[in-house]
Amino acid sequence: MEDEISHENSAHGHNKGSPESPCAKISCNGNNNNNKEQDRFLPIANVGRIMKKVIPSNGKISKDAKETVQECVSEFISFVTGEASDKCQREKRKTINGDDIIWAITTLGFEEYVGPLKLYLSKYREIEGEKLNIPKQQRSEQKQQQQQSKHEQNIPNFNSNVYSPPNLLSRHTSFVPSDQPFSLPFSSNNIQKQLQQQDQVDSVGYW
Amino acid sequence: MRQAGTYSGILSGGISGKTGPHLLPLARIKKIMKKSGEAVKMISGESPIVFSKACELFIKELTQRSWMVTMQSKRRTLNKEDVASAVMATDLFDFLVNLVSESPLEMDTSKYS
Repeated sequence: MEDEISHENSAHGHNKGSPESPCAKISCNGNNNNNKEQDRFLPIANVGRIMKKVIPSNGKISKDAKETVQECVSEFISFVTGEASDKCQREKRKTINGDDIIWAITTLGFEEYVGPLKLYLSKYREIEGEKLNIPKQQRSEQKQQQQQSKHEQNIPNFNSNVYSPPNLLSRHTSFVPSDQPFSLPFSSNNIQKQLQQQDQVDSVGYW
Repeated sequence: MRQAGTYSGILSGGISGKTGPHLLPLARIKKIMKKSGEAVKMISGESPIVFSKACELFIKELTQRSWMVTMQSKRRTLNKEDVASAVMATDLFDFLVNLVSESPLEMDTSKYS
């Protein structure tokens, strides 16, 4: 479901001039009905932040440089996705998964990215696996507890759940060890739907 | 509690609320992936996450190379031409050559499908 769109539109209106003139600077892909630039690129603030990390602190980055890198990143994503998609088609699979992306990245020459990516992905899958191993049995226990106990139990747990994990995503070298008492809220459900809250609570294991 | 507002793009993937500055919005990544071709229909949940990291690495590499050009010109501001020079000088970035050399850009992503 793409109801994330509304958040992103309001939060990260693409700053190439006015968001209302999508074709002003960039000519739009002919078969692209959705002409909003903000959909085609990652937010310039995020891109700029990452760029700043690798230049000296007294260095500056012009806006057009950020925009160019922004476009390059989208091109990179398309490039890699195309390769991965071809592979899936050849292998008669419908879903592009993380391994396909990594394979495509390798094939296209970005081998040096593969090490950190594989590590990252394996950690993610490990956590997902833990989550899947706590399926309905805990869910039903949790639901019982939720009904019996006070509501406020949900909130602090949820908060701490919300604020603790993403070390996993932060530095690629500092992965959260898998002996955490709770599982991280990664889940394909989380990503594709907005029902995260319940899923996260269910998988927490705090109960 | 989920944070709304500025970082909701980052959270849209359902990742919990801490706003690590290097997180890229997963839903946006997914959208860009889908636009790369008609054949791209189903994307696993982990793909945007892998891309999030891959894009970060890509941005860093491109920026580092561009900055080297900036320094050679004895400037402290990285500009678009530096990025273009870095792309031209790097075989790995061949797929970007058209992108940086044309002013009105056409992202012909169909060639990648």
